[in-house]
Amino acid sequence: MEKTLKKEKLNSLITGLKDKGYKTIAPKKDNNLITLCEIQEADEIHFDHVQTNNSIKEYFLPKTEKILSYTIEKTKVSIEEPEGFAVKSVVFGSRPCDAASLPIMDKVFNWDCTDKFWIERREAITIVTIACDKCDSYCFCTSVCLAPDAKQGSDVLLTKISDDEYLVETETEKGEGLIKELETVFSEPPSGTPDRQVATVEKKFEIDKVKPWLDENFVHKIWAEFSTKCIGCGACTFVCPTCHCFDIVDECTMSKGDRVKNWDGCQFKMFTLHTSGHNPRSTQDQRWRQRIMHKFKYYVEKFDNILCVGCGRCSRVCPADMNISEMLEIISTDEGQPEPVSKE
Amino acid sequence: MIEALRKKAEELLKNKTVDVVYGYGEGSVPERTRPVFITKPEDVNKLTWNKYCVYNLTTYLKKQESRKLGKPAIVVKGCDAKTITVLIKESQIKREDIYIIGVTCTGIGDPPATKCKACDVNTPLIYDELIGEKIGNKEFSFEERYAELDEYEKLSEQEKWDFWQKQFEKCIKCYACSSICPLCFCDRCIVDKNQPQWIDPSAHPRGNLSWNVTRAYHLAGRCINCEECQRVCPADIPLNLLNKKLAKETEKNFKYRSGYNVDDELAMATYKEDDNQDFIK
Amino acid sequence: MAEETKFEPRIVAFLCNWCTYAGADLAGTGRNQYQANVRVIKLPCTGGIDPLFLIKAFERGADGILVSGCHPGDCHYNSGNYHARRRWNVFRPLLEFCGINPERIQFSWVSAAEGGKWVETINGVVDTVRALGPFEGYQKINAVGSDASGEAATSGDTG
Ligand code: SF4
Ligand code: SF4
Ligand code: SF4
Ligand code: SF4
Ligand code: SF4
Repeated sequence: MEKTLKKEKLNSLITGLKDKGYKTIAPKKDNNLITLCEIQEADEIHFDHVQTNNSIKEYFLPKTEKILSYTIEKTKVSIEEPEGFAVKSVVFGSRPCDAASLPIMDKVFNWDCTDKFWIERREAITIVTIACDKCDSYCFCTSVCLAPDAKQGSDVLLTKISDDEYLVETETEKGEGLIKELETVFSEPPSGTPDRQVATVEKKFEIDKVKPWLDENFVHKIWAEFSTKCIGCGACTFVCPTCHCFDIVDECTMSKGDRVKNWDGCQFKMFTLHTSGHNPRSTQDQRWRQRIMHKFKYYVEKFDNILCVGCGRCSRVCPADMNISEMLEIISTDEGQPEPVSKE
Repeated sequence: MIEALRKKAEELLKNKTVDVVYGYGEGSVPERTRPVFITKPEDVNKLTWNKYCVYNLTTYLKKQESRKLGKPAIVVKGCDAKTITVLIKESQIKREDIYIIGVTCTGIGDPPATKCKACDVNTPLIYDELIGEKIGNKEFSFEERYAELDEYEKLSEQEKWDFWQKQFEKCIKCYACSSICPLCFCDRCIVDKNQPQWIDPSAHPRGNLSWNVTRAYHLAGRCINCEECQRVCPADIPLNLLNKKLAKETEKNFKYRSGYNVDDELAMATYKEDDNQDFIK
Repeated sequence: MAEETKFEPRIVAFLCNWCTYAGADLAGTGRNQYQANVRVIKLPCTGGIDPLFLIKAFERGADGILVSGCHPGDCHYNSGNYHARRRWNVFRPLLEFCGINPERIQFSWVSAAEGGKWVETINGVVDTVRALGPFEGYQKINAVGSDASGEAATSGDTG
């Protein structure tokens, strides 16, 4: 289904959503950050940015979440499961790369164990994406088979067609349902071919050359050379829309407690530390290699998807200016493709 | 300046005074630099110096991956150099194990970093070689040094609580603040200890408050105000206000400023019999 | 509920084994009455009282805290209380800066012979904190569990 949305109708859209019982999550400016967060009014929405600082993942895999609570009385343990965690919402104005991360992660959360927290939230939340009309030098969606107007993961895709108008395209039944619910807000699609304002994102590397190189170069001097500056802070994994590792801990007193699921990441040295004291990934280059391998080799082998949507957040946030697309450029242009040049 | 820096680095590597130079190199975008580790004399052209050299490279003294490269020469601004004084006092490094290339500096960042406003170490206080014209270090009064705290100290108790709750709420518990800090060098941080679990690992308001208070407090009388923690915080939490507050109290109560004098006793490792106790009943 | 009846503050007292604990004991054996709001935790020395203990006490529902040990010069381990005093000198303003009323964390020197001072001190703390009311700020963050959707968890009891 195709429609148009006039900017002047944004107010009615957001109020409409509220009236229909949706919580609205949209980009908002907060000091130096642009954050995807709950909003009440259309005025709060920030449009003129490349990318939000936080990714969409926290609405599906929150930074911290209770998975059960328990009480212990003598020998009796009672368990209470959380309810109501999946709140009917719309994420409005996320980027196509963020939206594309969701179907990629669906695979892992529906794999050996179905993660009800993820799945129920996926059902409850509708994604309305706005195609990017600008980008920065960290963006590389086009190098990982996506685009600034990619449709993957979006229920509705908005594309700017003039200063005050968006083209509205529904991609799923859920998206279609949403538009129908708020029909009066939208106008008929433009006649003729609309002038889609979409950014041009330069292609940085040949993705086809990455995996064959990784297959051969688990041992390579580049890992250490590239990552000496990495301080292992893990910020890259926390801001990444496709990093999904978590840790489960109990926060408790003697008689009761919560079992909590928290973000974790492979860049921390504690991540792989065994009780014995042995650490199979004892140095940062091994951890950096793990990040690249997981995203561009292991996940591909297991789920037939690259675990990266090219949003560039990891590189923007990195305190040491580690740049993932630079690493992939090096890999994809390494002379010995797919044979290694040197294994010094 | 860049030429002098490269020449010095080349000389140090050639005559094997050091095995590696920790310095600044070109970054992924023009407004950024990045840490580089130069081990070969022919690579010294990768070194640069400009207003984007924000990093306090002394943090790489605590990292095994960089230490593996051998004896370092390290490029430091005045503020960064103070770290070395503390690291020596805290027995983390020996003075003779590192070569200090001090650079004179009139401010970094765009917009300029807060720390540069009342900088009194434009010329580093400790170095083996100084690059750049020596600048007469300014002096500031106690009030000027901590001026940025005024507007926050003025707030009411409730306003303070609300302000910090709003800030801490944003914390995602990535611990970038402590990973980057050159003085957060414990091999196993208190947050990573869970028998017992002193600090809730979750990024909820309770866990975030105890983490942020503890991080700051563990740097009390030690932090040298490089502002790196604040720079790297992905949640944009003004961590330096906490550090500054502690520095202010340390100076007020113990007349101590961290990193200024290698002969001073570490404030939190010593005491005086007549220390302030007007708040103790 | 509790709000309708009079508010009774929960006070946690961290005492050093050698002086204040003995002082509190003396008050007890001398049958000197003091308000029953206090839970005493005995530690070897004030020098070993990590400020994290105080945070933990608030996390577990304390409305006020007293930390007390030997007078300067009397430390069983010579200098533990001097080191502790240095820390309190910076920790207290830090908490105040974060919006915690310093009256909720009090410090005292009470010797083994000062049963009377103990009674006076602890009554003073209880009265002050009673006047301040429940520590609502902390109660709120103790009640908020880990669920981002705002559902309350309940790990703030005294267990
Ligand atoms: S790559 Fe950057 S953000 Fe990631 S752990 Fe290393 S230093 Fe931190
Ligand atoms: S690895 Fe980096 S570029 Fe790729 S999805 Fe994650 S944050 Fe974005
Ligand atoms: S604080 Fe001083 S030495 Fe440090 S960056 Fe600023 S001006 Fe340079
Ligand atoms: S860097 Fe910021 S977000 Fe990360 S743990 Fe520290 S305060 Fe929290
Ligand atoms: S606490 Fe922050 S400002 Fe202080 S030394 Fe560490 S990184 Fe620098």
